Amino acid sequence: MSSNAAVKITDLHKSFGELEVLKGIDMSVAAGEVICILGASGSGKSTLLRCINQLTVQESGEIYIHGDAIGASKKVNQATLAKQRSRIGYVFQQFNLWPHRTALGNVADALMVVKKIPKKEAGKIALDRLTEVGLADWQDEYPSTLSGGQQQRVAIARMLAMEPEVMLFDEPTSALDPERVGEVIDVMRALAAKGHTMIIATHELNFARDTADRVIFIDQGVIVEQGVAKEFFESPKSERLRSFLKRMSG
Amino acid sequence: MNFEFRFDIVWNNFPLLLEGIQTTIVLSLLTMALGTIIGLFVAIIRLRVRRAYAVPLIIYVEVFRGTPGLIQIVWIYYCLPIVTGLQLDAITSLVIAMALNVGSYLSEVFRAGIQGVDKGHIEAAAALGFKPGQITRRVVVPQAAYRMIPAIGNVFVSAIKLSSLCSVLGMSELMYQGQIIIANFFRPIEVFTVVAVIYLIMAYSTSLFMMYLEWKLAWVKRDNKSFWQSFKNISRSAFSLKPQGDI
Repeated sequence: MSSNAAVKITDLHKSFGELEVLKGIDMSVAAGEVICILGASGSGKSTLLRCINQLTVQESGEIYIHGDAIGASKKVNQATLAKQRSRIGYVFQQFNLWPHRTALGNVADALMVVKKIPKKEAGKIALDRLTEVGLADWQDEYPSTLSGGQQQRVAIARMLAMEPEVMLFDEPTSALDPERVGEVIDVMRALAAKGHTMIIATHELNFARDTADRVIFIDQGVIVEQGVAKEFFESPKSERLRSFLKRMSG
Repeated sequence: MNFEFRFDIVWNNFPLLLEGIQTTIVLSLLTMALGTIIGLFVAIIRLRVRRAYAVPLIIYVEVFRGTPGLIQIVWIYYCLPIVTGLQLDAITSLVIAMALNVGSYLSEVFRAGIQGVDKGHIEAAAALGFKPGQITRRVVVPQAAYRMIPAIGNVFVSAIKLSSLCSVLGMSELMYQGQIIIANFFRPIEVFTVVAVIYLIMAYSTSLFMMYLEWKLAWVKRDNKSFWQSFKNISRSAFSLKPQGDI
C-alpha cells in the first residue's frame, strides 16, 4: 500500500521485561478501511493498539498516520505528542469516562481543552455526537448512573467529537453484559458504514465477519494470517487460526 | 464527695481565654495553610522523581510522623539555633514546627489521593490529546480533591489540638491561658472542662466546614439536596445499617 495509507506500521517490537509481546508487526490500513484484529488474550492485540497512539511506547519500529511519524520513539515533546494523539481516537475496554463529568461534559471537555472551542459551541457539537449514539436524553447523567453499554456509547461519542482520522477500539464490548453488546456493536456498524477508518480488537466474530473489510489474526506477537473477511473465516490457511476459530465458535 | 464546682471563676476570667482562643485560631490557620503547601510540594515531588531522589523527603515524612509533636516543637525552638545559629522568635519556630508536622501527614494524604485516580481516566484524557498539565487540572485534581477531603479534615482537626502543645514555650494560646487561670485559682477541673469544650467547638466547626467542602465538590448532588438536607442524611445513615439512596 502506498505511503498515503491512513496507518502504516513497520517492524514494531515491544517487550515487557523478558516477555516480548510484539515481535515485528508490519501492517498498513487504507483510509476508510475497517480492520478487525482477532487473537487470544495476551496475543498482543491491545499492545498493538496502544502503541499506535503511544499509550505504550515501542522498543523499535515506526508508526505513521497519513504519512506523519507518530511517537516518542522520535523523542517528541509532550505537546507534540498530545497533538498527534488528538488525531487518533481511542475507545477503551473499560470505557474510562470521567466520573466527575456528565455524559455531555465527557464529550465536550476535549473539544474545549484540546480544540479550544468555546463552551457553548462545544456543548452543541457534543449533543450532536450523543444524539448520534442515541443518548441525547442522557446528556445530564453522570457515568455512575449509566449502564455499561451506555457508558461505552458515551465514550464513542467522546472520541467521535474530536473527528479523529483513525479510530482504535480496544475490545470495546468485552467488559459489557451480553445483552448490552448489541447496542455498542450497532453504533460501530453505523460508523463503519460512514467510511471511518477503524481498527478494532475484538472477540466478536460475527461483527468481524460482516463489518470488517479485512481481518488480521495475531498470535504470540506476530501477524499469523490476514485477509478479506469472507475468505478469512471460510478458508483459514494456518493451523493456528483454524484452532482459534474453532475454540471461539466452540 | 462534697466537691463544689466553681465555674464562676472561669467565667470571671473568660477574657483571658478569649485571648487564648484568638492565638490558637491564628496558630492553627497558619499551620494548616503552610502545612498544605508543604504537603502538596512533598507529594508532587515524590510522585515525579525517582525513588532515590525522594529519599530525603521520605525521611522527613517518617521523622515528623514518627516522633512526638511536643519534642518537634521544643527541638526546633531550642536546638535549631544551637545547630544552625539561627535564632527564631517563638511564634515563627512554633509555626514552622507545626507546619512541618502537619505537612508530613498531609503529603501522604495528597499522595494517596493523587495515586488513587484511575489510571484509565488519565489515559483517556491523554488519548484525546490533553497535555500533562491539562490532565492534572481537568481529570486528576477534581477527583483527588473530593476524595481527600475527609482525610484532610482529620489532619486539620489534629492541628488544632497540636497547637495546645505550644503552651510549653509560653505561647499564650488557649491551653496556656487556661493554665494561668489554674495557677491563680487552683481550679483545674473547671478550667480544663471549659477549655476542652472550646477545643471541641473549634474542631467541630472545622469538621462541618470540611463536610460542606465535600458536599460542594461532590459531582453528583443526589436529588439536588441542600447541604443541610445531605448533612441530616449523613448523620442518619451513620446510625442505621439500612442503605440510604441507591447503591
